[in-house]
Amino acid sequence: MAQDIFSQVNLQRVYRRRRLTNKIMLGLTGLMLVLALIPLIWIIVYVLIKGGRHINLDFFIHLPQPMGTTGGGILHAIEGSLVMVVLASVFSIPPALLAAFYLTTHESTPLASAIRFSTDLLAGVPSITVGLFGYAVIVLAQKHYSALAGGVVLAIIMLPVVIRSAEEMLKLVPPDLRAGSLALGAPEWKTAIKVVLPAAAEGIITGIMLGVARATGETAPLLFTALGNDNYEIGKMIKQGIEHNQSIFDVLGRIFEQPADALPLTLWKYAQQPYPERVEQSWAVALVLMLFVLSLNILARVWIARRRSALQ
Amino acid sequence: MPIKKTIAVFISLIIATIVITGCGSSQSTATKAPSSNTGSAPTATKAPSNNTGSAPTATKAPANNTGSAPITLNGAGATFPLPVYTEWIQMYKSVQPDVTLNYQGIGSGGGQKAILDGTVDFAGSDSLLKDEQYQQMPDLQMLPMLAGAVVPIFNIDGVDNLVLDGQTLVDIYMAKITRWNDPAIAALNPGVTLPDEPIVVAHRSDGSGTTEIFTSYLGAVSKEWTDNVGVGKAVEWPADASGQGIGGKGNPGVAQAVQSTPFSIGYVELAYAKSNNIPFADMINAAGNQVTANADTMKDAMAAFANSFSERLTTKIVNAPGKNSWPIMGYTYLVIHMKNTDCDKTAALLDYIQWAISDDAAAQKAADLGYATLPDAVRTLVINKLHEVTCNGQPVL
Repeated sequence: MAQDIFSQVNLQRVYRRRRLTNKIMLGLTGLMLVLALIPLIWIIVYVLIKGGRHINLDFFIHLPQPMGTTGGGILHAIEGSLVMVVLASVFSIPPALLAAFYLTTHESTPLASAIRFSTDLLAGVPSITVGLFGYAVIVLAQKHYSALAGGVVLAIIMLPVVIRSAEEMLKLVPPDLRAGSLALGAPEWKTAIKVVLPAAAEGIITGIMLGVARATGETAPLLFTALGNDNYEIGKMIKQGIEHNQSIFDVLGRIFEQPADALPLTLWKYAQQPYPERVEQSWAVALVLMLFVLSLNILARVWIARRRSALQ
Repeated sequence: MPIKKTIAVFISLIIATIVITGCGSSQSTATKAPSSNTGSAPTATKAPSNNTGSAPTATKAPANNTGSAPITLNGAGATFPLPVYTEWIQMYKSVQPDVTLNYQGIGSGGGQKAILDGTVDFAGSDSLLKDEQYQQMPDLQMLPMLAGAVVPIFNIDGVDNLVLDGQTLVDIYMAKITRWNDPAIAALNPGVTLPDEPIVVAHRSDGSGTTEIFTSYLGAVSKEWTDNVGVGKAVEWPADASGQGIGGKGNPGVAQAVQSTPFSIGYVELAYAKSNNIPFADMINAAGNQVTANADTMKDAMAAFANSFSERLTTKIVNAPGKNSWPIMGYTYLVIHMKNTDCDKTAALLDYIQWAISDDAAAQKAADLGYATLPDAVRTLVINKLHEVTCNGQPVL
């Protein structure tokens, strides 16, 4: 009896101690979480405050004014970024998805391990080196800087991100699903497109978005390839094309084949200017870039949520 | 339904890749052989304007879009004239709406490399091309566009006016004078309270024509500078060795470095100092007079060297002997090809250059920013040279 009471008291003490430890550790992890979030929130708030003041409609629809004068916008950088990221996606996503399919269906062939190894290596290549490669192979050969060259180097940077994330997502698809489809007589390609791809689509899209976000934020490789262009204006090029009865390929050629600016490139150039308007505008560019990448992520997530509810 | 959509997206992506890579590769093969693309009107406008052989039949190629297709001219180089070039390009949009110009300020060294690599249609440089560069590409021509003053800018709290002479500037950049209250500086600035602080010496980190003008001046003043440091687009700065030097990229980079570093000194084109309200020093010139950089002192210096242009149409105008001459000056040049293969582009470029050096509004804009426009005699030299530019063997103008 006495021993029972004793052990009960003892137990309660143990429980109390455990609850206390639990609370302390929970508090500690919470604190660490806050610490980890501080840089993120700080950056977002700081950029919002510094850049928010200079955001207005004019900033999005006008080309830059000569330095030292107020006003002007970053239309050239927005359009240049869009063109180059679209080009990069078109160049990188199809081969990346095909490679990912190969990696999941032929997991342990020598070619698969070679692809995996080289993808990891490619991911580790500094982006400035990729830019130099683009300069040597494309710019020097074509004899001019171009949005196309920028798109190609960004594609090289996107490639490993998309391959590895798509592979991870395809691996998560239950093998039974694939086996079932094959057993019912569906050919391999039909299985891939109709069964495996839809099942992994959400993850793959997220991976693509990650790749696009990475490409959008790259500055270094564009220094050698896209160079920069204060007068990059797609609307004007199309208008001139119509006025001069140019074919669609001529107009596309002009859009792809001339130097282009990009948001991070403009940020980099503006931030080192002595002109105060330029420095302030560089904060606004930072904000636009951040919101662009953020909204890409949000769009992807909304799309995924829609798909998920549609599937159920 | 969503599955079908996914397939559609996937397939359209693949098709798009095939179309675009196909189109891209055909273009790159066409441009790789500029001497042989006599046909194919769509790619003719994009063909580089470098002069690898001039095919005699090429004149017929752009016949179906002569003068009518929109043209993009790409240039890069010196940051010395960048403020006025961006203004001119803006103005030129209303003069010639079908011609779009793009000029990127990457430094004179970068511009020279770009035109030698053939990656731009024209380059900007205030550094003179070297003989080996002319040998590499004999049809390069430098055309003076403007002259500008290089001014010593400084950042000393409470000091707005400063006077320096050549030897003092040399000693500061040689790291022999290391503090602001050095007797040599104090002697030139009676009545100014100079702080007992180390001088931070800002200079260009990239290959720069502004550096070439500045070091040419220091070399003209001091044999010691010529012997130990030298004259050029980039030199080894003695101040760096003593840990007091900082580098900035382009004229904007140096201006920003001086703005943000207390007790620093640097050198930039006058327009950067004026438009950013950075104080700049007066100089004692070769005639022994104290001068400040402005339109009059620049004109005086240019007049002193009016007949000094070489056959290459280049000259140096530092340490002018005139009574009121600003001593640290230079012309800034456009570098173009004399022999071209893309006639539409060449004609557009020559039109632009003619407009830039002849138009009154353009000249006014340059003067407002603090540049000196070409004397009439020099403008005539440039326009005569423009008439010698050929496309496929035929004069363009």
